[in-house]
Amino acid sequence: MLDLYSVLGVKPDALEDDIRRAYRSAARRLHPDVNGHPGAANQFRDITAAHEVLTNLTERVKYDNKRRQIGTERPYFTLRVTPSARALPALNETQVLYLLIELVPDPTIDRSTTSTPLNLTLVIDHSTSMNGVRLERTKVAAHRLIDQLADSDILSVVAFSDRAEVLVKAAPMTDKNAAKTMITTIQAGGSTKIYEGLQAAYDQNRRYAGKNFANHIIFITDGRTYGDEAKCLTLAERCNEEGIGISAMGIGDEWNDVFLDQLAGITGGTSQYINSPNVVQRLLDERLRSLGQAVAERVTLSLAPDPDVIIENGFRLSPSAQPISIESDPVPIGQVLAQLPTSAIFTLQLPPLTEVGTRSLIRFAVEGDILWDRRTNYRLVADISLEVLTNPPIEEPPRIILDALSKLALYRIQQKAAEAAARGDIREATRKLETVATRLLAGGHTELANIAMAEARRLSSTHAISEEAQKALKYGTRHLLLPSEE
Amino acid sequence: MKVCPYCAHSNREGILFCEECGQVLYTEQGAATSTKRLPVGTGGLSAKGGWGTARFNQSATIMLHIRDNPSPIEVKPQQETILGRYDGSSSSTPTIDLTPFGAYENGVSRIHAAIRRGEDTLTLVDLGSVNGTHLNGQRLIPNQPRVLRDGDEIRIGKLVCHVFFKTSS
Repeated sequence: MLDLYSVLGVKPDALEDDIRRAYRSAARRLHPDVNGHPGAANQFRDITAAHEVLTNLTERVKYDNKRRQIGTERPYFTLRVTPSARALPALNETQVLYLLIELVPDPTIDRSTTSTPLNLTLVIDHSTSMNGVRLERTKVAAHRLIDQLADSDILSVVAFSDRAEVLVKAAPMTDKNAAKTMITTIQAGGSTKIYEGLQAAYDQNRRYAGKNFANHIIFITDGRTYGDEAKCLTLAERCNEEGIGISAMGIGDEWNDVFLDQLAGITGGTSQYINSPNVVQRLLDERLRSLGQAVAERVTLSLAPDPDVIIENGFRLSPSAQPISIESDPVPIGQVLAQLPTSAIFTLQLPPLTEVGTRSLIRFAVEGDILWDRRTNYRLVADISLEVLTNPPIEEPPRIILDALSKLALYRIQQKAAEAAARGDIREATRKLETVATRLLAGGHTELANIAMAEARRLSSTHAISEEAQKALKYGTRHLLLPSEE
Repeated sequence: MKVCPYCAHSNREGILFCEECGQVLYTEQGAATSTKRLPVGTGGLSAKGGWGTARFNQSATIMLHIRDNPSPIEVKPQQETILGRYDGSSSSTPTIDLTPFGAYENGVSRIHAAIRRGEDTLTLVDLGSVNGTHLNGQRLIPNQPRVLRDGDEIRIGKLVCHVFFKTSS
C-alpha cells in the first residue's frame, strides 16, 4: 500500500487545508503543462491520486482505517540523498549540483537464512569463436551454478549461434544431472545472432515469470551481433515491463560493449567484461548470490526535477558501475542487496538562482518488490530542497561524493578519448589518453596507467585504436568506482 | 565560472572535477579563503598561500624576476615566447635568451619552454627539455600546457624565476 501522506509530504493528522496546499505546491512543480519531464508526469499521477483520496472525507476515513490495520510497516530499506553542497550560492549563472542516492537496507534484515526463489535462464553463445577454453570454462561454470540452485528454483538453458536451441526447458531443478548432461553436449559452431538467443530465453523465462520469483536472464557471449540490435533492445524493454532482468557477460575483446551495456541497462541489470575465461565462474557465482539474497527486487527510481532543473547524467556506482539512461522514467535499478550498498550519482544543472531562501530541486520516488516478505510495490519518496544564500560558507564537499566523482572523472575522460578516436581525431584522443594516464598514476593505479600510456603511444603511431586496450580502460576505470572488496 | 588551473577549460560553478581533464577544482576555493601562512622555501619548494589571477589582458606585459638578478626582464608576450639558451651555433633561436643569467650552468636547454598566449590567459609549456620545467614546484609533463598565474614560480632547469603580470592601465 502506498503511503498517501508521505507522497504529499504531510502529517497523517493534517487538516484538509494543509493537504490542499501541499497538493497545489507539488502540482505547480509537476503538472505536465509546466514540466515536460517524464518523471514529473509519473509523480504527478501519484500526488493527484493521493489528493483525491485524502480530500474526500469518506475515502480518507476508509484509507485511515486500512492504514491502522496494517500498522507501522518495517522499513525494508531507506532512501538517503547526499548533495555535494549543503547550501547553494545565489548566482546569476547556471551551476551544477551533484546528488548521491543510496538505498540502504534495514540492518535488522538477515537474508542469509532464506533465499529468494529464482527463475533463471542461462543463455550461452556457442559460436565458432567460443571454441576451446572459453566454452569449456563456461560449461564448468554452468555446472557449478546448477549445483548451487535449490530444488524449487526454476532453470532454463538456451544455447545459440545463428539460431537458438532450448537445451533445458524452464522447470523446477529436480533433475540436476539431466540439465548438466545437456550442457555438456554444447559444441561450438556458427556465428553470433544475439536476438535469436534472447528471444528463446525470453520465451522460456516468461513461463514462470511472476511476482513470486526473481526472474533473470544471464547472457554469456564473445561476439558482436549484426543488424538485430534494435530488435534486441525492444525485447529488453518488454522483459523489463514483465519484471525480467538481464545480465550480460562479455568474454574477450570482440563483443559490442556499448550494445550489451544498453541491453542490460534497460532492465537495471549489469554488464561485465571478462578478460579471461577463468573468471566466468566467479562472476556467475557472484551473480547468483546477489540474485538469491536481494532485499528488494525490480527496484525503480523515478526522478522528477523541477521544471527549470536539468538532469545531465546519472551513473550507478554500486553494486555495479555503469551509466544510467535517464531518457525514460522510471529508471530501473535492479535489486537492493543486503551486503553491498546500492548507490548512484546524478549531475543536475540548476538555473541562475537569484532569490535567497529555500529552493525545491527534485523529487525522487523509489519502488520495489520485497519477495521474501511477499510485499509488492514498497515505496519511498524524497523531496530535495536546499537553502540558497548570498554567501554560503565554503566547506569541503562530502568525502563519499569526492571519491566517486574523482574516479568517475577518469572514466569520463577515457570515454572522451574513445569518442575522439572513433571520430578520427587522433590528436585529441592521444591527449585525453595521456591525461587519463597522468591521473591514474597520481591515484596509484599503475597497471591501468600503463595501459593508457601504451594505448596513447600506439594511437599516435598507428592511428588506430586497440579494442582490447579500450575495453580494459573502460571497464578498468569503471571498476575503480566499486567499493573495494573486503 | 571556474577556470581549470591545469587545462584552462571553463567549468560551470559547482563542478568539482574539471570536465575536460579531471583536475580537482574544489581545493582552489578553500585555499583562497585560507588565512594560514604557509612557510616559503622549505625543502627546495616554494609554497604559496593562494593563487594569483590567471587573467591576462591583451595589453598586459609580464615581468620575469630571475633569482639573484636585481633587474627583472619585461616581456611583451607573443603568440609563442620561447625560453632557452642561444649558443651561437644552433639554427633555432629562443625569443628570450637566458645565457646572461647562467643558463648553461643551470641546465637550461636550447629550446626549453614556451609561454603561449591564449584568449585571456597565458600557458606555460615544457618543450621536451632535458632538465625539465617546474611550475610552483611541480614538474611539467612535456608538451602539456598549464595555465600561468600572476606570481607563479617557474623553474627552468635550475634557474628559478617569478612571473608577475603588469597591466598598463
